[in-house]
This record gives sequence, structure tokens and C-alpha cells, in this order.
Amino acid sequence: MTWQLLVSACVSGALYAVIALSLNLIYGTMRLLDVAHGEFVMLGAFCGYFLITWLGVPPLLALLAAFALNGLIGLALYQWLFAGIIRRARSTEALESTSLLVFFGLSVILQNGAALAFGGTPRAYARYDRIVHVGGVAITGNRLVAMAACVAAIAAVLVFFARSTWGLAIRALIQNRDAAAIVGIDTQAAFRLASVLGFGLAGYAGAVIGLMQPASPFMGGQYLMIGFVIIVLGGVGNLAGCVVGGVLIALLETVGTQLTGPNYRDILIYGTFIAVLLVRPQGIFGRGAA
Amino acid sequence: MQAGSWGRISRRAALAGGAAAWVFAARRARAQAGAPLKIGYAMPRTGYLGVASPVAEQAYLLWGEQVNAAGGLAIAGGGRRRVEFIAYDDQSEPSKTAEIYEKLISDDTVDLLLAPYGTPFHIAIAPVIERNRFPVVAAATLSSLLRDMHMRHMWFAQPLPDAYGVILAEFLTAQQVKTASVLTLQLPASLETRKYLLPQLARQGITVALDQDYPNSTTDMTGMVSAVKQAHADAVIGLSYPQDSVLYVGAARELGVNTPVQLLLIGPGEPFFVKKFARADLEGLLTIGEWTPDQTRWPRARAFNDAYVARWKEPPDYLDSTVSYASCEILAQAVAQVGLDHDAITAAMDSITFDTVKGPIKFRGVENISTKPGLLQFQSGALQIVWPPDIATARFRPKSGWSL
Repeated sequence: MTWQLLVSACVSGALYAVIALSLNLIYGTMRLLDVAHGEFVMLGAFCGYFLITWLGVPPLLALLAAFALNGLIGLALYQWLFAGIIRRARSTEALESTSLLVFFGLSVILQNGAALAFGGTPRAYARYDRIVHVGGVAITGNRLVAMAACVAAIAAVLVFFARSTWGLAIRALIQNRDAAAIVGIDTQAAFRLASVLGFGLAGYAGAVIGLMQPASPFMGGQYLMIGFVIIVLGGVGNLAGCVVGGVLIALLETVGTQLTGPNYRDILIYGTFIAVLLVRPQGIFGRGAA
Repeated sequence: MQAGSWGRISRRAALAGGAAAWVFAARRARAQAGAPLKIGYAMPRTGYLGVASPVAEQAYLLWGEQVNAAGGLAIAGGGRRRVEFIAYDDQSEPSKTAEIYEKLISDDTVDLLLAPYGTPFHIAIAPVIERNRFPVVAAATLSSLLRDMHMRHMWFAQPLPDAYGVILAEFLTAQQVKTASVLTLQLPASLETRKYLLPQLARQGITVALDQDYPNSTTDMTGMVSAVKQAHADAVIGLSYPQDSVLYVGAARELGVNTPVQLLLIGPGEPFFVKKFARADLEGLLTIGEWTPDQTRWPRARAFNDAYVARWKEPPDYLDSTVSYASCEILAQAVAQVGLDHDAITAAMDSITFDTVKGPIKFRGVENISTKPGLLQFQSGALQIVWPPDIATARFRPKSGWSL
């Protein structure tokens, strides 16, 4: 049974890590407090649902399409909304507070817009629904596919940021925006790319969730909270920290509640969150100035 | 000659028919020329209940469209008037629901009110309703609290949790269940059902092998369902809502929980549930409810089902859609008998036996004493009433595992 729980934790952990990575890209790079991130996840879930059930698109292709669509939305938002906000902001604190308000408005618009457009009724479909036995562990095929898709996305993102020029440029921006600009990094282009990747990954995560759970306009809230907890735990701007944070939260959620009881879920998650903040305010992997 | 004679009669019939149609149309036009009847309600279109409430609001909207298509709502001594809904989103916040009902009564001056969605929201409007002596037929709520608050202007079309506790225990006894595992979501309907279920189980001599409650934030039930499997009880009673019903089925499949009696409180009756799981997974799963379009003793049940499917392209929720529609019917029949005076409606509620899609409904005090609470089971892809026996449309079949 322990292995069953660990596999469940891996599925949730991989998903949480993708959501945290996407949120971290937006916050870490541009310092935009994206409290509408759950709604971008929701858009991805609906995108996947409609592509798979209406157009018969293969689920794995639908994940990529959700990434592309949300990435385009992210690009448009950056061009027409956030570029101006970032340019006009006098300080990081001002940028954070302004973006918090803007994203709050976006969250309400997206949630209600989705409710109007798609209705409030949950939408679900069954794909990869067979039970797969691996050793002594039984897992639904769609959860296995979801985990594999998330691991692939995490690996791709980490390799991109470790090896590619643009990945290194974005990491430099995360560490020190002014210094990055001085050494000639095109901050506007890097922000654009971070928007595409950040919002795109949120959509991708949403489509992954749609493989396992019903999509609804109000599904995003829980993932937003988890995303913020993980990026603070792992360290703002620290992409590898997202992966560790995601797995840690998932372990607390599954194995931790098994040891203590389901009612301790929130106490375990937020208790750990507060404890880490007390001991290491910059997060487990964060640097001092984060 | 026969043809000519038929032709003359046909012309006369056509003239008479035309005149009758003109008179009818004129009457209808006169009736409809009056101000529409304003009917108000609040629904959680956003917030955590936004997922669950559409099945109730769609029933309201369907009823309104059908009434208007028939020329309006019949009013005792006042012909017919078209109905116009004034509806607001309460954002799943009970305090907003109370404010909305105040506004509906005082600012919008509605003629009638329909119920909000969910137990906390009914509780929130209770003081407003009582203070204004405004009659409301409660619909999608599963709570005895309101009855115990001695409400005088709110009637409960849905059987109450204490009644479900009794029939559930009776059903389990009939299936020779000796032990049961109970999982309870920490939301009002689940908690209240548990409150009444546990004493009934004890009374029937059924041992509770596992009694576990869990928060609404739960996203994975693997651990809990593992404990259920290890408890080896004869029955699993999941007092769940739709989202965690999905989590339960997913975990029970993976862990191979092959208990012959598995019940989930709310969720299996919702349209998305059928799309999410294979027929073999649904087969044998139990949920609460006492309605199915296959119950031929209620002839309008099938018609409602078909109209709902035609309008919304999905089947009605056997619990919330039907009780919401029935609440409209109850109000409409009261108005047809006594008019729009609220005190007259209140006085009439005790004396009328209402003809609804859920069968006849009669109130004693504020409680529905006609509708027997029941249990539904998926059989061959459709929900059938399996308990109590006198309204059952099929016999209970033990759940025989999950799809592989």
C-alpha cells in the first residue's frame, strides 16, 4: 500500500511541479503576482476537453495545443497589458501590487467568462482509462500518462533553462534584472518568452488535469494556492526548487495524511510552509535576496 | 358526394376553428399583455458551488419556458401571466444570498420566489423569508436544521437527512450488511446525513468498521480508500459531493475495492459522472434519490426527462434537477388555486396534494410526507430505484467490481 501511496504522490507531485514552474516563470522573471494562474490552468483543461471530445484530437496532441493556445494568450497579455505595467512600475513592490490587482480582475473575468461560455456544469471524458499494474501497484492509465506528460514537460523546461541561450538569459533576469540588462540581454524579448512559456505551461497542466478530473470554470483556485506555496517553499525564481517543492507537497498530501489523518492535510501543508518561512525565508533552495 | 359533403363540413369546421383560435389567441394576448409575473431567485453561478448548481437552474429555466409557451402561469381569478425570472449570482456566499433575497423582495418587488441552491443558502435566507412572510418551496437542500428552526414559510420538497438515515440503514439490513465503512466530506449535507445515519446503523446492529471525515480541499483519496479496503466492511457509504465522488471511484478502481454495497451521496446522478467513467465502473454504484424517468407511476417523469434532455442536451440530475422543477410545480399549483396572495399560498400548502414530476407531494407542516426517500443504483447504464421496494423500478444487484 505504501508504494501505491508513493505513486499517487508522484502523480500529484509532477503535476504540482509543472504548475509551480509556470507560476515561477511569470513571478520570478517579471515579478507579476499572477493570482489568475488557476484560471489559466482551467482554460487549458477546457481546451483539452473540447479538442479531445469535439474534434477527436489525440490527447497528447491536445496537451501541446493547450500549451500553444495558452502561450499565445500569454503573449497577447504581455504585449497589450503587462509590458506597459512593467515599464511604468517605479519599484518591484509597486509592480507586484499593481499586477495583483490586474490579475485579480482577470481571474474574475476568466472565471465568469468561462461559466458563461461553457456553463458551470463539469465536463469530463474518459481516455486511457484502463488499470495498469506495475509491480504491486495499480494505477489508472490516464494518471500514468499524466505523470509521464508532466515529467517530460519538467525535463524539457529544465534542459531549456540549463542549456539554451534564452533559457540562461531568463535565469539571469530572475537573478538580477538590472545586471542582466547591463550585459545586453534583451529583457523585452525574454519577458515575452517567459510569458509564452509560463502561461503555456499553465494550459498544459490544465489539459493534464482534464485527463484525470472533470473541468469546470471554478477548478483553478486550489491549484493557485498550491502553486504559490511551492514556489515560496522552493525559492522564488528557483526552477529546480519547484520540482522538489511539488513532490514535497504531494508527499504531505498523500503519505502525510495517511499517517496522521485526512483532516491534517491543510495543517501539514501550511504548517510546513510556515516552518520553512521561519527557518529559511528565502525558501529551501532560494538565495538570500529572493 | 361523400367528398363534397366532407368538403363542406371542412369549411365550416375551418371557420369555427378559426374563430375559436382567434378568441383563444385574443384571450392569451390579453393575458400576456399584462405585466409579467416576476419570479426571483439566487444561484451560485460562480464560487465553489458553481459546478453543482446548473442542474438546478436549468430546471427552473425549463419550467419557465414551458409555462410561457403554454400562455403563462395560471393565477386563481386572474387568467394567465407570463413569467419573468429575476436571478442573481450569489457567488456561493450565503451572506450574499440573504442580501439578494432582501433585494428581490424590497427593490425588485417580485411576485414569487424560488429557492436558492444548497443548504447554507437556504439557512441564510430563512430569516428574510420569515420576516417578510414570503412563501418559498425549498429545493436543493439536504438539511433537517431548517425544519427544526420551526420555519413557517419554507416547505421542503426533498426528503430530509434523518429520513435518508433511516432508509439507508433499512436497506443495509435488508442486504444483510453487518459492517460498514463511512467516509464523510466536511460539508453540511454530508455531515448532517452522517449525524442521522450512525445512530440508525447502531439501531440496526450494523458495526461501523471505519468512520472517517475529510476536508473539502482533499485532492487524492488513495490513503482513505486504502483504509476502507483494509477495514473489509460489507458496505462503503461515501457521504460525498461530486468532486470527491470522482476521487473515490478512481481510487476504488485502482485499489480494487470490491465491496458489494458502495454508495456515494451526491455525484453519480450528475451528467458528467456518466461521461467520466466506463459503464462497468458505474454498474452497481448506489446513490441517494427517489426519481427515475422509468417510474411509470409518475407519468410526467418521462416527459420531464425528455424535455430536459431536448433543451439542455444532457439528462437531468435525478436529485437536484427534479426537485427544483417540482418546487416550481408546487408553487404554480398553489398560485393556480389561491392566487398570488402570500398568506393564502402559505395557508394552502397544507391542504393541496401537488402533482409533480416526483409524484404526488403533500406537506404536513413544512415537511413533505408523500415522497419516500430512496436509493438509486446504476444498472445497465441507467439509474434505477432499488429502495424502498414499493417504489423500486429494479431489484438491487451487488456491485461486481470495476473495469480493468
